[in-house]
Amino acid sequence: MNTSPVSNRIAILKDRAQMLAKTRAFFSARNVTEVDCPIVSASASVDAHIDLIPVEDVTSRRYLHSSPEYGMKRLLSEGIGDIYQLSHVFRLGEKGRRHNPEFMMSEWYRIGFSFEEMIQETLEYIEMFVGEQPHEYLSYREALQKFVGIDYVPMTVQDLVAFCREREVLLYDEIVSEGKDALLNVILAKFVEPNLGKDRLTVLMHYPATQCALAKVIRKGDEDVAERFEVYYRGVELANGYHELTDAEDQRHRFEEANEQRVLLGKKKLPPDENFLSALEVGLPDCCGVAVGFDRLMMLKHGVEDIDTVLPFDWDRA
Amino acid sequence: MAYVNTNEFKSGMKIEIDGNPYLIVNNEFVKPGKGQAFNRVRLKHLLTARVIERTFKSGEKVDLADVLETQMRMLYREPDGVVFMDDNSFEQLKITSDHLGETDQWLKEDLVYEILIYNGEPVAVVPPTFLELKITETDPGVRGDTASGRVLKPAITETGAKVLIPIFVDQGEIVKVDTRTGEYVSRVQ
Repeated sequence: MNTSPVSNRIAILKDRAQMLAKTRAFFSARNVTEVDCPIVSASASVDAHIDLIPVEDVTSRRYLHSSPEYGMKRLLSEGIGDIYQLSHVFRLGEKGRRHNPEFMMSEWYRIGFSFEEMIQETLEYIEMFVGEQPHEYLSYREALQKFVGIDYVPMTVQDLVAFCREREVLLYDEIVSEGKDALLNVILAKFVEPNLGKDRLTVLMHYPATQCALAKVIRKGDEDVAERFEVYYRGVELANGYHELTDAEDQRHRFEEANEQRVLLGKKKLPPDENFLSALEVGLPDCCGVAVGFDRLMMLKHGVEDIDTVLPFDWDRA
Repeated sequence: MAYVNTNEFKSGMKIEIDGNPYLIVNNEFVKPGKGQAFNRVRLKHLLTARVIERTFKSGEKVDLADVLETQMRMLYREPDGVVFMDDNSFEQLKITSDHLGETDQWLKEDLVYEILIYNGEPVAVVPPTFLELKITETDPGVRGDTASGRVLKPAITETGAKVLIPIFVDQGEIVKVDTRTGEYVSRVQ
């Protein structure tokens, strides 16, 4: 519930407008073009753990997008160049202190940017909200070693379950069948995330290849890692970026894997976006992309704990 | 049995896990990155008061605990338990010693307590947070003890609770005690 006084609430909403304008100025100054890909489409992002809100059309079922990613990548393969989209996105059932099922995403793509350049620009964007900060870079593996004292790479599901038991983290039974990534997520959320970005911006990068989503996978030492990064400030996850996967065949395979995982989790399969796949076949230029949670930036800018405070109306009052 | 979805979890809700009743102290929806969603919940065991943290799969259904709280007045002790009465219905019930546990030390005749009824059985007694109790046993304060930093001395209340009180409080005086911690709060004039 919104408990801030009315005057403060209006002030936050006015600042919200200002930050949207500043976002546009940020991209305009960098010659990044604004696009507005559709919010509703016949097929949408296929993710194992992101559920979509369906919409009934006259004769068919469509979906509210969980990110403008596929549409934007279609435009990239048509040769539009650097682009950004500021739009509301939707995720079924994601309601909590830092989650609202409908939220504002700031997403952009840069042609020819290296992974490092993309991280740099993302930090600059975030600092527009939270002020200049020291930067820290940690690989997923280093973060778990640093804050939990485990090297997850050689560990099995049973090892991780035993670790949780030792640290008195009570789990649900099915997590064992959900696999290693599910356990790593619980451990990351409980022991690592609260420590990230305490008085700095922390970039968590090089995720396990099994958590690659749409990022390129590279070999790093003795493991395959995804060129994927997230940015944290004060324990809050703010951005998710990739060196984008450009291979259509690989992409189709990841859709299949995500759908298989959905079935294992007792969820329905989602239709792969054929338009998006054909665009990849035509050729997506080598690029990096990132999605940043605009509302969370507003929460941090105003020092509030609840996402409802920075929204005109939260899900329960919408 | 009635159940709730983890999406409906709220502080104060009473749920049952592995046959035990718990109170939801705090519920947090967690979803890192592209990972699975789960709820991290702090739970207080309604009988032992022990607080645990448990992870639930988001969307999981959990049984609601059949728990009823009612106010009852303590009447008298029996060898194997304590008898309470409902002021409105005059209904009486006995709570056995094994369900009283440590609360036993806070039970005083004619005071009103909160009784927890779980699956139709009285299972726990919750004392008021603060109680005013007479000191029935304590040594007289010894001057000079303060020099060594010892300003508290052991005492026993009329209900049998062992508490530490300041050395200036004498036997027969009434003190206010916090039943959650068993700590002395103040002297009652």
